[in-house]
Amino acid sequence: MKYCKLGLAIATAGALLATPVIASETVSVWMRYGENERPVLDKLVAEFNSQTGHEVDLFLANTDFETRLARAAAGGNLPDIIVNDATAIGQLLEMGVVREIDRASFVGGDEIFDVAWDSTLGPDGKHYGVPTSAQAFAVFVRKDWREALGLEKPQTWEELFELARAFTEDDPDGNGEADTYGYVMPVSATRGYATWFLSDLIWQAGGAFVSDDGGTFHATLNTAEVATGVEFGRSFICAGYAQPAAITATTGDTTPVFASGQAGIYRSGPYHIAPLYGEPGKDLVEVILPPAGPAGRDSLGEGEAAFITVTSEIPEIAQSFIEFLVSEKGQRLGMAEGMDSSPIVRLSVNKSVDTLAVRQDEGWATFAEQFGEAGHYFPRVPNWKPIRQMTADGFNRILADCDSDIGAELAAMDGIVNAELDRQGVLSK
Amino acid sequence: MQSKPRQWQWAVPWLFLAPALIVFTWFKFVPIAKGMVMSLHNMKFFGPDEWVGLAHYERAISDSALHAAVGNTLLYVIVSTVVGGVLAFCVALALQDQARHVRIIRTAIFIPAVTSVAILSEIWRIVFYPAANGVANSFIALFYIPAQSWMADPDQALYVVILLQIWKSIPYNMVIFLAGLAGINRELYDAADVDGANVWRKLWHVTLPGLIPAFSVVIMLSFIRGFRVFTEIYTTTGGGPAGRTEVIMTVIFKTGFERLDYGYAAAVSFLLVAFTVLLTVLHITIKNRISRF
Repeated sequence: MKYCKLGLAIATAGALLATPVIASETVSVWMRYGENERPVLDKLVAEFNSQTGHEVDLFLANTDFETRLARAAAGGNLPDIIVNDATAIGQLLEMGVVREIDRASFVGGDEIFDVAWDSTLGPDGKHYGVPTSAQAFAVFVRKDWREALGLEKPQTWEELFELARAFTEDDPDGNGEADTYGYVMPVSATRGYATWFLSDLIWQAGGAFVSDDGGTFHATLNTAEVATGVEFGRSFICAGYAQPAAITATTGDTTPVFASGQAGIYRSGPYHIAPLYGEPGKDLVEVILPPAGPAGRDSLGEGEAAFITVTSEIPEIAQSFIEFLVSEKGQRLGMAEGMDSSPIVRLSVNKSVDTLAVRQDEGWATFAEQFGEAGHYFPRVPNWKPIRQMTADGFNRILADCDSDIGAELAAMDGIVNAELDRQGVLSK
Repeated sequence: MQSKPRQWQWAVPWLFLAPALIVFTWFKFVPIAKGMVMSLHNMKFFGPDEWVGLAHYERAISDSALHAAVGNTLLYVIVSTVVGGVLAFCVALALQDQARHVRIIRTAIFIPAVTSVAILSEIWRIVFYPAANGVANSFIALFYIPAQSWMADPDQALYVVILLQIWKSIPYNMVIFLAGLAGINRELYDAADVDGANVWRKLWHVTLPGLIPAFSVVIMLSFIRGFRVFTEIYTTTGGGPAGRTEVIMTVIFKTGFERLDYGYAAAVSFLLVAFTVLLTVLHITIKNRISRF
């Protein structure tokens, strides 16, 4: 009996030694999402926990995300993972808070679209993040208004302008009052909105913000193409076909303008599908491809990415969470498949996930088509954010005054952008 | 035996002040000192900060965007102080009666002073919504004035936000003037009556000299409030359109929290603090000179 007990003890000890003991760790993750996305994230985290045994401590903030991050960095309290707009990479690198990702050893890395991987490249050609979601911008239109006025879906700038005119002047809601507008434009300089909005029109006109001279850049705003794009944007405001107060509006102001039926054309991303299908309503709204300008119908391509911080003491486990997030399973969960909740993955970055099969919606199909065919990323300068802000200040000045000299203003902006490129050490000589 | 407690008497006021002083030191003076240090560095967030000496201050001197904001701030301060002060003085004169209905009006007038700025700004945005059927445009339409763009018009925006500041500061200033009016010796008015002084003479020779301390407080508070104005601008126009309502504080905010250039933002903040202190000292000196006469 005594030997039997001893044998059992030895066998147990042997079994314990043979199985590697993995201590459960807690990965702290900061994400630029709000409470609407929490149900999806909770499900993701629960699945990760059941697969790996590791816990995830989530912190969500939609507003002032960068400010909070800066405070955390200054106080030495960074999380293990940051999930933010991919365009934030320049700022994160300038702050020196994110670490390199080895694409070769990243499990499932070859499943991710190359164009998505490109969004996380640093100026040195190395990856500093992992793309988690992608999207491009398209145009929401009040379908009921358009049909009531007997107009076709606009495919060119001219048709878009005519639609905006008709929505403003021809009483599309039939209430007998001149209380509707055409194009909803968020063109405040705040946080760079004017640039964010006008970028589509500039590219559609064949213009560019900067020219990439192979690792160095120079500003190319003072061109006839950029002027054409900006002037087309301004024509809506000066003709009175944009909503009032467009010049000081951010998206926080504009979404209610479209949702409440004050205006009928809204350029936005797929994240607005769910709210706008709710109000004004799925039957009243349609998503159309951006009407083409002289050079095509390019629109802003954006995405989100996950970054591992330099302070993380558990980078392997942090990476395993990101690997799960971009895996087929993680992406499907992130798309809120089968859930009535806001997704964190708009268009999947994983080649194995058929976005359209998961979504089964015409609006989503349009966004996917636009991203695939005409998604256009902001230029990959080391830190785009200050340039976005500077150009937005300039565009806002142009749009605020219907008589302003666009060429002179663009020439001044070229000087300002070149000075910033010089500060970042990438100005072409 | 009696001399011992007297020896420590100097400490009594400090002991009473201690709680406030400790809190102020921790939450005001220490951050100010840290801001000063920050302004001499390029903040790296991570790793050692880079010492740049007075480079940020030199940059402030040649920063044209900051200069434009300083110009806007000066206009904001001067117009809001003068108009807000004069109007508040008139309202105080009209409401210095003790009748019950006056108290109701006083309360109504005081509401903007105790309402959150964010709410006032939202009201302003609704009132001055630049559509033809906006509140302000509907009102001026009664006088056959065409619809205005208000805060969306680069030439009007600053004045519309100044109007918000005036609306908000009138009740505050009014209370200070009312307190000042109550403190004027009634016998001076009686004496003036005996001398046969009319209303304007009494206002000029009795009321106004008696209100110098009140004017002084109103001007000083308006100046300080005006120079560090932020919420009123940020929540209505965000500094636009075309940067025409950009003020010193919105520039600091954007530099610090949107561009994360903490060093430069700290330098500009410090210049603003130094300027405010200078202004306060100057004001007190002038006030003392005047009250001597």
